[in-house]
Amino acid sequence: MIAVEGLTKLYGGRTALDHVSFEVPKGEIFGFVGPNGAGKTTTLRILAALLEPTAGRALVDGADVTEHPDLVHERLGYMPDFFGVYDQLTAGEYLDFYAACYRQPKARRKKIADDLLELVGLTDRRDQAVDTLSRGLKQRLCLARALVHDPAVLLLDEPASGLDPRARVEMREILKELQTMGKTIIISSHILPELTELCTMIGIIDQGRMRATGPVQEVIRQLTTGRRLRITVLGQKEEAAAVLKPLPAVHEVVTVNGAIEAHYDGDDAAAAGILQALTAAGIKVSGFSQLEGGLEDAFMKATSEDI
Amino acid sequence: MNRIAIALWNPIVAKEYRSRMRTWRSPLAMTIYILLLGGVGWAIFSSTASSARNSFNGAQAANYGQVLFLWLILFQMVLLAFITPALTAGAVSSERERQTIDLLFVTKLPAFSILWGKLLASMSFVILLLLLSVPIFSLVFLFGGIELDQVLIAFLVTAVAALTLGIIGLACSTAFKRTLPATVSAYGAAFILLAGSLLFGLLFPTDINPNATKAPAPPAVTYLSPILPLVVIGMNAPVTGYGIRNGVYNMAQGGGMACSAGPNGAQSCYMTTVPIGKGAVGQPFNPPQPIGTTIPSGLFSGWQYWQATITMQLVISLLALILSALLLPPIRHLPWRRRARVVA
Repeated sequence: MIAVEGLTKLYGGRTALDHVSFEVPKGEIFGFVGPNGAGKTTTLRILAALLEPTAGRALVDGADVTEHPDLVHERLGYMPDFFGVYDQLTAGEYLDFYAACYRQPKARRKKIADDLLELVGLTDRRDQAVDTLSRGLKQRLCLARALVHDPAVLLLDEPASGLDPRARVEMREILKELQTMGKTIIISSHILPELTELCTMIGIIDQGRMRATGPVQEVIRQLTTGRRLRITVLGQKEEAAAVLKPLPAVHEVVTVNGAIEAHYDGDDAAAAGILQALTAAGIKVSGFSQLEGGLEDAFMKATSEDI
Repeated sequence: MNRIAIALWNPIVAKEYRSRMRTWRSPLAMTIYILLLGGVGWAIFSSTASSARNSFNGAQAANYGQVLFLWLILFQMVLLAFITPALTAGAVSSERERQTIDLLFVTKLPAFSILWGKLLASMSFVILLLLLSVPIFSLVFLFGGIELDQVLIAFLVTAVAALTLGIIGLACSTAFKRTLPATVSAYGAAFILLAGSLLFGLLFPTDINPNATKAPAPPAVTYLSPILPLVVIGMNAPVTGYGIRNGVYNMAQGGGMACSAGPNGAQSCYMTTVPIGKGAVGQPFNPPQPIGTTIPSGLFSGWQYWQATITMQLVISLLALILSALLLPPIRHLPWRRRARVVA
């Protein structure tokens, strides 16, 4: 659905993007992660045909962004990180205006606006002036705006920035719903735990270079050396630690918030072996789980050294 | 809807109407406009009425009608020269400043439609102002001396000049990222169009050629200004004392020619010291005189002044519009840039 090959962008003498390549198949949610100034927004602006690459090419649903920007605009919805709204327009008029800009027939525009306002939970704000909406509501309205022409691809640049936790959860729910509708979504964000939960694929970019890309768990596995287990026991922490430390697969045992965290190498069989060793030693294990959320570690590793 | 209808009426026009007419600024601007124009009209009406009270006759009344019309139409042109750049100089740059332009670029609206929508919305407001001034202009018919076709042509000249200023403002707004430099340059362009071109006629006038068979005319650049045709239309007579070099001809050789204005715009000239061509010292020498309201010679020979003005202004407008349409898109498909990219 989206293919980026050797994308390079120079601003004067500064390299903003350095041969960035990745692919996003149809229906995936691709999380684009990187520190500030890494090149995320530049990549998304090139994909939205708002910026010309210095070299390389990008295809959105088969349409080249430089050669056929009109086709690209037809097929994608774009939500920038910073955007303004017009004064003196209500939320309903705002969506109607953009639906008209996307050449939606007049007879359908009201229904489109109503459906989208319902999708983003702004039905009761239909007649409120857009410039009086809070930031979170504006973000939701802007997402609705990106959907007025029912695009197959969504480019969302920091859609959750500046939102309170509740608004973030709501935004995440909306994105999940869009995924079930079959949209391909590229989302750039700094909030890593959310991306882990939401995204099916991930790309880590730093200093204009793509450090890692692929399915989320695969990238985490590539970049992190070990796995972690969270073990809770009934009052036998010292004994449990004494059992865990000599095991060959385990290389570190720490206590975090009253639970034991064991760092180990190996696959699921190794984890089963650890549990077996604990129960064999008479330790009463009340909780035993693999710790997900290694994206933060992966991100730190990917952005701190050359791979 | 066919393509022309789509191009003429695009969503930006409706959006701009909503945004513009929902604020207090538009009614206020219209009120001030009418008050200023009406104030000037009333002042001239009062002064002419008090003069006419003592010695009224038909010829004088017709003259008052002309004077009132001339003042009003010139004042209206100056007012619009202040208003129109303000309407369009921020049209594109304010979208950039508000960070809404990208949201327009990713729609299916082509760059030209964005420009056209902005222009149409701004020019509609100018047309509204012109319509609002019609009742004030109807005052001139109380006196007579002005025909309906003069009023219509003067309004056409004013509207085309406002359109030109609007398109130049739009081009400035497209070329500059910020509204402030765009506005300053748009006003600069408005000054050059209205006053600068007239100043050119004063600084570089046409020399009178004593052997010429046609009457002299000001340099073609001066027709850029709408002031010249408006004066010609208002006076219903050629402008004889402007843009032509009188009495300085061949002064380096100690010769020259003196001219004096006669009644009804006629001009009488004679050689002063050295005979040149057919002239003789001290003998009356009368080069052909401009007759009627057509341009007697030069590039636009035989044209009406207003025809030359609107032709030149429409050419400038077209060029400015094409330039804006080329500059506006985020990815510009200019042939020379494409070649450079392929080479790179």
